[in-house]
Amino acid sequence: MGVALWIGVAGLGGLGALLRFALDGAIGSRLGGEFPWGTLAVNLSGSFVLGLLAGAAVEGDALLLAGTATIGGYTTFSTWMLETHRLGEDGDRFVLAANVAGSLVAGLLAAFAGHEIGRLL
Amino acid sequence: MNEDCLKVSAYFGERDMHGGRFLADHLLDEFERAALQTSILLRGTEGFGAKHRLQTQRFLSLSEDLPVLAIGVDARERVEPLVERLRGSLGDGLFTVERARMVTGRVGPVDLPDALGDATKLTVYCGRAERVLGQPALPAIVDLLQRHGVAGATVLVGVDGVVHGIRQRARFFSRNANVPAMVVAVGSSESIEQAIAKLGSVLDRPLLTLERVRVLKRDGEQLAPLDEHPDEDAQRARVWQKVMVYAGEQARLDGHPLYVELVRRLRRAHAAGATVLRGTWGYHGDHAPHGDRLLSLGRRVPVVTILVDRPSAVRALWPIVDEATSATGLVTSELVYERS
Repeated sequence: MGVALWIGVAGLGGLGALLRFALDGAIGSRLGGEFPWGTLAVNLSGSFVLGLLAGAAVEGDALLLAGTATIGGYTTFSTWMLETHRLGEDGDRFVLAANVAGSLVAGLLAAFAGHEIGRLL
Repeated sequence: MNEDCLKVSAYFGERDMHGGRFLADHLLDEFERAALQTSILLRGTEGFGAKHRLQTQRFLSLSEDLPVLAIGVDARERVEPLVERLRGSLGDGLFTVERARMVTGRVGPVDLPDALGDATKLTVYCGRAERVLGQPALPAIVDLLQRHGVAGATVLVGVDGVVHGIRQRARFFSRNANVPAMVVAVGSSESIEQAIAKLGSVLDRPLLTLERVRVLKRDGEQLAPLDEHPDEDAQRARVWQKVMVYAGEQARLDGHPLYVELVRRLRRAHAAGATVLRGTWGYHGDHAPHGDRLLSLGRRVPVVTILVDRPSAVRALWPIVDEATSATGLVTSELVYERS
Protein backbone atom coordinates (compact mmCIF):
# COMPACT_ATOMS: atom_id res chain seq x y z
CA MET A 1 0.00 0.00 0.00
CA GLY A 2 1.44 3.34 -1.06
CA VAL A 3 1.98 6.41 1.04
CA ALA A 4 -0.67 8.28 -0.96
CA LEU A 5 -3.25 5.68 0.05
CA TRP A 6 -2.32 5.96 3.72
CA ILE A 7 -2.70 9.72 3.53
CA GLY A 8 -6.02 9.24 1.75
CA VAL A 9 -7.28 6.92 4.53
CA ALA A 10 -6.21 9.36 7.22
CA GLY A 11 -7.72 12.38 5.44
CA LEU A 12 -11.02 10.75 4.53
CA GLY A 13 -11.33 9.20 8.00
CA GLY A 14 -10.96 12.69 9.43
CA LEU A 15 -13.48 14.05 6.94
CA GLY A 16 -15.96 11.37 8.05
CA ALA A 17 -15.48 12.39 11.68
CA LEU A 18 -16.03 16.04 10.78
CA LEU A 19 -19.22 15.20 8.89
CA ARG A 20 -20.49 13.24 11.87
CA PHE A 21 -19.71 16.03 14.32
CA ALA A 22 -21.56 18.57 12.12
CA LEU A 23 -24.64 16.41 11.46
CA ASP A 24 -24.88 14.92 14.96
CA GLY A 25 -24.53 18.36 16.56
CA ALA A 26 -27.07 20.01 14.23
CA ILE A 27 -29.71 17.32 14.76
CA GLY A 28 -29.11 17.02 18.49
CA SER A 29 -29.34 20.73 19.17
CA ARG A 30 -32.42 21.12 16.93
CA LEU A 31 -34.40 18.26 18.43
CA GLY A 32 -33.03 18.31 21.98
CA GLY A 33 -35.12 16.04 24.15
CA GLU A 34 -34.07 12.71 25.57
CA PHE A 35 -33.38 10.57 22.51
CA PRO A 36 -29.95 10.73 20.80
CA TRP A 37 -31.38 11.28 17.31
CA GLY A 38 -28.10 12.71 15.99
CA THR A 39 -26.13 9.52 16.58
CA LEU A 40 -28.95 7.40 15.19
CA ALA A 41 -29.08 9.50 11.99
CA VAL A 42 -25.31 9.21 11.59
CA ASN A 43 -25.24 5.45 12.07
CA LEU A 44 -28.25 4.81 9.85
CA SER A 45 -26.99 6.96 6.98
CA GLY A 46 -23.54 5.38 7.34
CA SER A 47 -25.00 1.87 7.28
CA PHE A 48 -27.00 2.75 4.19
CA VAL A 49 -23.96 4.10 2.31
CA LEU A 50 -21.78 1.15 3.32
CA GLY A 51 -24.54 -1.21 2.13
CA LEU A 52 -24.69 0.77 -1.11
CA LEU A 53 -20.93 0.42 -1.65
CA ALA A 54 -21.09 -3.31 -1.00
CA GLY A 55 -24.14 -3.77 -3.22
CA ALA A 56 -22.49 -1.86 -6.07
CA ALA A 57 -19.51 -4.20 -5.63
CA VAL A 58 -17.06 -1.38 -4.99
CA GLU A 59 -13.76 -3.02 -4.06
CA GLY A 60 -10.06 -2.59 -3.57
CA ASP A 61 -8.64 0.85 -2.86
CA ALA A 62 -11.98 2.54 -3.56
CA LEU A 63 -13.71 0.46 -0.88
CA LEU A 64 -10.87 1.14 1.53
CA LEU A 65 -11.13 4.90 0.99
CA ALA A 66 -14.92 5.26 0.80
CA GLY A 67 -15.89 2.48 3.20
CA THR A 68 -13.24 1.76 5.81
CA ALA A 69 -11.89 5.32 5.95
CA THR A 70 -14.81 7.69 5.30
CA ILE A 71 -17.75 5.69 6.67
CA GLY A 72 -15.53 4.20 9.38
CA GLY A 73 -14.70 7.68 10.62
CA TYR A 74 -18.30 8.82 10.16
CA THR A 75 -20.29 6.15 12.00
CA THR A 76 -19.73 5.53 15.67
CA PHE A 77 -20.38 2.49 17.81
CA SER A 78 -18.71 3.98 20.87
CA THR A 79 -20.92 7.10 20.92
CA TRP A 80 -24.00 4.89 20.58
CA MET A 81 -22.88 2.87 23.60
CA LEU A 82 -21.84 5.90 25.69
CA GLU A 83 -25.14 7.68 25.09
CA THR A 84 -27.01 4.48 25.92
CA HIS A 85 -25.08 4.32 29.18
CA ARG A 86 -26.04 7.95 29.92
CA LEU A 87 -29.70 7.06 29.36
CA GLY A 88 -29.25 4.30 31.93
CA GLU A 89 -27.74 6.81 34.38
CA ASP A 90 -30.80 9.00 33.91
CA GLY A 91 -33.00 5.98 34.60
CA ASP A 92 -34.66 6.28 31.20
CA ARG A 93 -35.12 2.50 30.73
CA PHE A 94 -37.67 2.70 27.91
CA VAL A 95 -35.62 5.15 25.86
CA LEU A 96 -32.52 3.04 26.59
CA ALA A 97 -34.19 -0.08 25.17
CA ALA A 98 -35.52 1.88 22.18
CA ASN A 99 -32.05 3.24 21.48
CA VAL A 100 -30.48 -0.24 21.47
CA ALA A 101 -33.23 -2.14 19.63
CA GLY A 102 -34.15 0.72 17.28
CA SER A 103 -30.56 1.30 16.17
CA LEU A 104 -30.01 -2.41 15.55
CA VAL A 105 -33.20 -3.04 13.60
CA ALA A 106 -33.18 0.22 11.64
CA GLY A 107 -29.43 -0.10 11.00
CA LEU A 108 -29.86 -3.57 9.55
CA LEU A 109 -32.72 -2.32 7.36
CA ALA A 110 -30.61 0.66 6.20
CA ALA A 111 -27.70 -1.59 5.23
CA PHE A 112 -30.08 -3.97 3.46
CA ALA A 113 -31.81 -1.15 1.55
CA GLY A 114 -28.43 0.32 0.56
CA HIS A 115 -27.28 -3.08 -0.62
CA GLU A 116 -30.39 -3.69 -2.76
CA ILE A 117 -30.18 -0.24 -4.35
CA GLY A 118 -26.43 -0.69 -4.89
CA ARG A 119 -27.06 -3.90 -6.81
CA LEU A 120 -29.28 -2.01 -9.26
CA LEU A 121 -26.51 0.51 -10.04
CA MET B 1 -16.85 39.23 60.17
CA ASN B 2 -20.50 39.68 59.38
CA GLU B 3 -21.09 42.22 56.65
CA ASP B 4 -23.05 43.02 53.53
CA CYS B 5 -21.39 41.71 50.41
CA LEU B 6 -21.98 41.22 46.72
CA LYS B 7 -22.09 37.88 45.02
CA VAL B 8 -21.34 37.97 41.31
CA SER B 9 -22.49 35.13 39.05
CA ALA B 10 -21.33 34.76 35.46
CA TYR B 11 -23.21 32.39 33.17
CA PHE B 12 -21.37 31.49 29.96
CA GLY B 13 -20.00 28.64 27.83
CA GLU B 14 -17.04 26.47 28.75
CA ARG B 15 -15.33 27.24 25.44
CA ASP B 16 -16.10 30.96 25.27
CA MET B 17 -12.88 32.82 24.57
CA HIS B 18 -11.51 36.16 25.67
CA GLY B 19 -8.24 37.59 24.35
CA GLY B 20 -7.04 34.23 23.02
CA ARG B 21 -7.74 32.38 26.31
CA PHE B 22 -10.68 30.58 27.80
CA LEU B 23 -13.04 33.09 29.39
CA ALA B 24 -13.38 30.79 32.42
CA ASP B 25 -9.63 30.97 33.07
CA HIS B 26 -9.66 34.73 32.53
CA LEU B 27 -12.51 35.34 34.98
CA LEU B 28 -11.12 33.08 37.70
CA ASP B 29 -7.67 34.72 37.29
CA GLU B 30 -9.31 38.13 37.70
CA PHE B 31 -11.23 36.94 40.76
CA GLU B 32 -7.97 35.66 42.24
CA ARG B 33 -6.06 38.87 41.41
CA ALA B 34 -8.80 40.93 43.06
CA ALA B 35 -8.31 38.68 46.11
CA LEU B 36 -12.01 37.92 46.43
CA GLN B 37 -12.92 36.08 49.65
CA THR B 38 -14.06 33.11 47.64
CA SER B 39 -14.67 32.06 44.05
CA ILE B 40 -15.81 28.87 42.39
CA LEU B 41 -16.30 27.66 38.83
CA LEU B 42 -19.14 25.16 38.43
CA ARG B 43 -19.48 23.06 35.29
CA GLY B 44 -23.04 22.58 34.12
CA THR B 45 -24.37 19.29 32.82
CA GLU B 46 -26.90 20.76 30.41
CA GLY B 47 -28.34 24.09 29.36
CA PHE B 48 -28.60 26.86 26.82
CA GLY B 49 -27.96 30.59 26.64
CA ALA B 50 -28.61 33.61 24.47
CA LYS B 51 -28.04 31.69 21.20
CA HIS B 52 -30.52 28.99 22.30
CA ARG B 53 -28.07 26.25 21.37
CA LEU B 54 -28.59 23.21 23.54
CA GLN B 55 -25.46 21.81 25.19
CA THR B 56 -25.75 18.57 27.12
CA GLN B 57 -23.47 15.97 28.59
CA ARG B 58 -25.97 13.35 27.42
CA PHE B 59 -24.99 13.65 23.74
CA LEU B 60 -21.32 13.45 22.82
CA SER B 61 -21.39 16.02 20.01
CA LEU B 62 -23.22 18.55 22.19
CA SER B 63 -20.96 18.20 25.19
CA GLU B 64 -17.85 20.10 24.12
CA ASP B 65 -19.13 23.54 25.17
CA LEU B 66 -21.17 22.95 28.32
CA PRO B 67 -22.59 25.88 30.29
CA VAL B 68 -20.50 27.02 33.24
CA LEU B 69 -21.23 29.26 36.20
CA ALA B 70 -18.50 31.33 37.87
CA ILE B 71 -19.28 32.78 41.30
CA GLY B 72 -17.26 35.32 43.28
CA VAL B 73 -18.05 36.79 46.70
CA ASP B 74 -16.63 39.77 48.59
CA ALA B 75 -17.40 43.21 49.95
CA ARG B 76 -19.19 45.63 47.62
CA GLU B 77 -16.17 47.90 47.12
CA ARG B 78 -14.13 44.98 45.77
CA VAL B 79 -16.78 43.31 43.63
CA GLU B 80 -18.35 46.40 42.07
CA PRO B 81 -15.28 47.74 40.16
CA LEU B 82 -14.34 44.19 39.16
CA VAL B 83 -17.75 43.53 37.62
CA GLU B 84 -17.67 46.85 35.74
CA ARG B 85 -14.22 46.01 34.35
CA LEU B 86 -15.11 42.45 33.34
CA ARG B 87 -18.56 43.14 31.97
CA GLY B 88 -17.35 43.63 28.38
CA SER B 89 -15.44 40.33 28.30
CA LEU B 90 -18.51 38.15 28.75
CA GLY B 91 -19.82 38.22 25.17
CA ASP B 92 -23.12 36.32 25.01
CA GLY B 93 -22.86 35.40 28.66
CA LEU B 94 -24.66 37.03 31.56
CA PHE B 95 -23.34 38.76 34.67
CA THR B 96 -25.68 39.10 37.62
CA VAL B 97 -25.04 40.64 41.01
CA GLU B 98 -26.83 39.63 44.20
CA ARG B 99 -26.78 41.31 47.55
CA ALA B 100 -25.89 38.92 50.32
CA ARG B 101 -24.61 38.81 53.87
CA MET B 102 -21.19 37.28 54.29
CA VAL B 103 -20.13 35.58 57.50
CA THR B 104 -16.51 34.57 58.09
CA GLY B 105 -14.35 33.72 61.07
CA ARG B 106 -16.21 33.58 64.37
CA VAL B 107 -19.88 33.09 63.63
CA GLY B 108 -21.99 35.11 66.01
CA PRO B 109 -25.77 35.18 66.11
CA VAL B 110 -27.20 36.34 62.79
CA ASP B 111 -30.48 38.16 62.81
CA LEU B 112 -32.59 37.65 59.72
CA PRO B 113 -35.82 39.58 59.35
CA ASP B 114 -38.54 37.09 58.57
CA ALA B 115 -41.25 38.43 56.28
CA LEU B 116 -44.27 36.41 55.24
CA GLY B 117 -43.40 33.59 52.85
CA ASP B 118 -39.74 34.52 52.90
CA ALA B 119 -36.90 32.13 53.42
CA THR B 120 -33.12 32.23 53.49
CA LYS B 121 -30.59 30.75 51.12
CA LEU B 122 -27.40 29.70 52.88
CA THR B 123 -24.24 28.90 50.94
CA VAL B 124 -21.28 27.29 52.72
CA TYR B 125 -17.96 27.44 50.83
CA CYS B 126 -15.18 24.94 51.57
CA GLY B 127 -12.72 22.49 50.01
CA ARG B 128 -14.06 19.27 48.51
CA ALA B 129 -12.29 16.90 50.90
CA GLU B 130 -12.13 19.19 53.92
CA ARG B 131 -12.79 17.46 57.24
CA VAL B 132 -14.54 18.52 60.42
CA LEU B 133 -14.23 16.61 63.68
CA GLY B 134 -12.54 13.76 61.79
CA GLN B 135 -15.35 13.44 59.25
CA PRO B 136 -15.74 14.59 55.65
CA ALA B 137 -17.12 18.12 55.96
CA LEU B 138 -19.60 18.17 53.07
CA PRO B 139 -21.88 15.28 54.14
CA ALA B 140 -21.51 16.42 57.77
CA ILE B 141 -22.78 19.90 56.84
CA VAL B 142 -25.70 18.37 54.90
CA ASP B 143 -26.63 16.19 57.89
CA LEU B 144 -26.44 19.14 60.25
CA LEU B 145 -28.71 21.22 58.00
CA GLN B 146 -31.30 18.47 57.75
CA ARG B 147 -31.26 17.93 61.53
CA HIS B 148 -32.09 21.62 61.98
CA GLY B 149 -35.08 21.39 59.66
CA VAL B 150 -33.57 23.24 56.69
CA ALA B 151 -35.82 22.50 53.69
CA GLY B 152 -33.11 21.35 51.29
CA ALA B 153 -29.35 21.26 50.70
CA THR B 154 -27.21 20.38 47.69
CA VAL B 155 -23.44 19.84 47.46
CA LEU B 156 -21.89 21.28 44.29
CA VAL B 157 -18.25 20.58 43.47
CA GLY B 158 -16.32 23.14 41.45
CA VAL B 159 -13.41 22.71 39.02
CA ASP B 160 -11.57 25.95 39.82
CA GLY B 161 -11.65 28.73 42.38
CA VAL B 162 -10.22 30.05 45.61
CA VAL B 163 -10.57 28.13 48.88
CA HIS B 164 -9.37 29.80 52.10
CA GLY B 165 -7.33 32.28 50.07
CA ILE B 166 -5.56 29.70 47.86
CA ARG B 167 -6.30 29.13 44.18
CA GLN B 168 -7.25 25.50 43.57
CA ARG B 169 -7.78 24.09 40.09
CA ALA B 170 -8.98 20.59 39.30
CA ARG B 171 -6.45 18.54 37.33
CA PHE B 172 -6.82 15.33 35.40
CA PHE B 173 -4.15 13.36 37.28
CA SER B 174 -4.94 14.44 40.79
CA ARG B 175 -7.06 13.53 43.77
CA ASN B 176 -8.41 17.08 43.59
CA ALA B 177 -8.99 17.05 47.34
CA ASN B 178 -8.76 20.81 47.68
CA VAL B 179 -10.91 21.96 44.76
CA PRO B 180 -13.65 24.35 45.84
CA ALA B 181 -17.08 23.03 46.74
CA MET B 182 -20.19 24.61 48.16
CA VAL B 183 -23.35 23.57 49.92
CA VAL B 184 -26.45 25.49 48.83
CA ALA B 185 -29.28 25.25 51.34
CA VAL B 186 -32.73 26.80 51.49
CA GLY B 187 -34.94 26.95 54.54
CA SER B 188 -36.97 29.09 56.88
CA SER B 189 -34.89 31.90 58.34
CA GLU B 190 -35.39 30.37 61.77
CA SER B 191 -34.00 26.96 60.82
CA ILE B 192 -31.05 28.58 59.01
CA GLU B 193 -30.27 30.76 62.05
CA GLN B 194 -30.11 27.70 64.29
CA ALA B 195 -28.10 25.71 61.77
CA ILE B 196 -25.42 28.36 61.29
CA ALA B 197 -24.98 28.84 65.02
CA LYS B 198 -24.05 25.17 65.14
CA LEU B 199 -22.04 25.32 61.88
CA GLY B 200 -19.94 28.14 63.33
CA SER B 201 -18.87 25.97 66.24
CA VAL B 202 -18.09 22.95 64.02
CA LEU B 203 -16.29 24.46 61.01
CA ASP B 204 -12.64 25.49 61.27
CA ARG B 205 -12.71 28.53 59.02
CA PRO B 206 -16.32 29.06 58.03
CA LEU B 207 -17.23 31.18 55.03
CA LEU B 208 -20.96 31.55 54.52
CA THR B 209 -23.29 33.78 52.58
CA LEU B 210 -26.93 34.41 53.35
CA GLU B 211 -29.50 35.70 50.87
CA ARG B 212 -33.24 36.23 50.92
CA VAL B 213 -35.24 33.94 48.66
CA ARG B 214 -38.85 33.04 48.24
CA VAL B 215 -39.77 29.36 48.40
CA LEU B 216 -42.52 28.92 45.85
CA LYS B 217 -43.15 25.19 45.94
CA ARG B 218 -42.13 22.05 47.76
CA ASP B 219 -43.00 18.57 46.52
CA GLY B 220 -45.88 19.91 44.45
CA GLU B 221 -47.37 22.07 47.18
CA GLN B 222 -47.52 25.78 46.41
CA LEU B 223 -46.14 27.73 49.38
CA ALA B 224 -46.15 31.23 47.85
CA PRO B 225 -47.25 32.77 44.57
CA LEU B 226 -44.59 33.73 42.03
CA ASP B 227 -43.35 37.20 42.98
CA GLU B 228 -43.89 39.77 40.23
CA HIS B 229 -41.41 42.56 39.55
CA PRO B 230 -40.79 45.27 36.94
CA ASP B 231 -38.02 44.60 34.38
CA GLU B 232 -36.01 47.65 35.48
CA ASP B 233 -35.13 49.01 38.88
CA ALA B 234 -35.40 52.65 40.01
CA GLN B 235 -32.07 53.47 38.31
CA ARG B 236 -33.37 51.96 35.07
CA ALA B 237 -30.85 49.10 35.30
CA ARG B 238 -32.01 45.70 34.17
CA VAL B 239 -33.43 43.30 36.72
CA TRP B 240 -33.31 39.53 36.33
CA GLN B 241 -35.33 36.92 38.13
CA LYS B 242 -33.71 33.63 39.04
CA VAL B 243 -35.88 30.57 39.54
CA MET B 244 -34.15 27.47 40.88
CA VAL B 245 -35.60 23.96 40.85
CA TYR B 246 -33.95 21.46 43.22
CA ALA B 247 -34.90 17.85 42.49
CA GLY B 248 -33.34 14.41 42.42
CA GLU B 249 -31.87 12.82 39.30
CA GLN B 250 -34.65 10.25 39.58
CA ALA B 251 -37.44 12.87 39.39
CA ARG B 252 -39.65 12.30 36.35
CA LEU B 253 -41.77 14.40 34.03
CA ASP B 254 -43.77 12.56 31.35
CA GLY B 255 -41.60 9.50 32.03
CA HIS B 256 -38.36 11.38 31.30
CA PRO B 257 -35.81 12.98 33.62
CA LEU B 258 -37.38 16.15 35.00
CA TYR B 259 -34.42 18.40 34.24
CA VAL B 260 -34.24 17.21 30.61
CA GLU B 261 -37.93 17.92 29.97
CA LEU B 262 -37.81 21.23 31.85
CA VAL B 263 -34.84 22.49 29.83
CA ARG B 264 -36.43 21.31 26.58
CA ARG B 265 -39.69 23.13 27.31
CA LEU B 266 -37.95 26.30 28.47
CA ARG B 267 -35.81 26.35 25.34
CA ARG B 268 -38.83 25.81 23.12
CA ALA B 269 -40.52 28.77 24.89
CA HIS B 270 -37.44 30.94 24.13
CA ALA B 271 -36.32 31.47 27.73
CA ALA B 272 -33.18 33.62 27.97
CA GLY B 273 -31.15 30.81 29.45
CA ALA B 274 -31.11 27.76 31.69
CA THR B 275 -28.25 25.94 33.40
CA VAL B 276 -28.40 22.52 35.04
CA LEU B 277 -25.93 21.68 37.80
CA ARG B 278 -25.50 18.15 39.13
CA GLY B 279 -24.75 17.96 42.81
CA THR B 280 -22.84 15.11 44.43
CA TRP B 281 -24.92 14.77 47.60
CA GLY B 282 -28.00 16.38 49.08
CA TYR B 283 -31.66 16.20 50.01
CA HIS B 284 -34.85 18.17 50.01
CA GLY B 285 -37.77 17.83 52.37
CA ASP B 286 -37.96 14.66 54.47
CA HIS B 287 -36.12 12.55 51.91
CA ALA B 288 -32.88 11.01 53.16
CA PRO B 289 -29.69 12.54 51.72
CA HIS B 290 -28.79 10.84 48.47
CA GLY B 291 -25.96 10.58 45.95
CA ASP B 292 -24.41 8.06 43.57
CA ARG B 293 -23.55 4.55 44.69
CA LEU B 294 -20.73 2.38 43.41
CA LEU B 295 -21.66 -0.19 40.73
CA SER B 296 -25.12 1.24 40.25
CA LEU B 297 -26.01 2.39 36.73
CA GLY B 298 -28.84 4.74 37.72
CA ARG B 299 -27.69 8.01 39.29
CA ARG B 300 -29.21 9.35 42.49
CA VAL B 301 -27.54 12.74 42.76
CA PRO B 302 -29.45 15.97 43.37
CA VAL B 303 -29.91 18.20 40.32
CA VAL B 304 -30.41 21.96 40.30
CA THR B 305 -31.99 23.66 37.28
CA ILE B 306 -31.46 27.42 37.15
CA LEU B 307 -33.62 29.66 34.98
CA VAL B 308 -32.59 33.30 34.64
CA ASP B 309 -34.76 35.69 32.65
CA ARG B 310 -36.41 39.10 32.85
CA PRO B 311 -39.26 39.19 35.40
CA SER B 312 -41.88 39.67 32.66
CA ALA B 313 -40.55 36.60 30.83
CA VAL B 314 -40.46 34.54 34.03
CA ARG B 315 -44.16 35.34 34.53
CA ALA B 316 -44.85 33.96 31.05
CA LEU B 317 -42.64 30.89 31.63
CA TRP B 318 -44.02 30.12 35.09
CA PRO B 319 -46.72 27.66 33.89
CA ILE B 320 -43.93 25.47 32.43
CA VAL B 321 -42.03 25.38 35.73
CA ASP B 322 -45.25 24.98 37.69
CA GLU B 323 -46.34 21.98 35.63
CA ALA B 324 -42.89 20.39 35.74
CA THR B 325 -42.85 20.56 39.55
CA SER B 326 -46.44 19.46 40.12
CA ALA B 327 -45.30 16.42 42.14
CA THR B 328 -41.74 16.96 43.28
CA GLY B 329 -38.92 19.46 43.74
CA LEU B 330 -38.15 22.57 45.73
CA VAL B 331 -38.70 25.79 43.75
CA THR B 332 -37.26 29.14 44.79
CA SER B 333 -37.29 32.61 43.28
CA GLU B 334 -35.00 35.60 43.85
CA LEU B 335 -34.15 38.85 42.16
CA VAL B 336 -30.69 39.42 40.74
CA TYR B 337 -29.40 42.60 39.21
CA GLU B 338 -27.37 43.73 36.26
CA ARG B 339 -25.82 46.46 38.39
CA SER B 340 -25.45 46.56 42.14
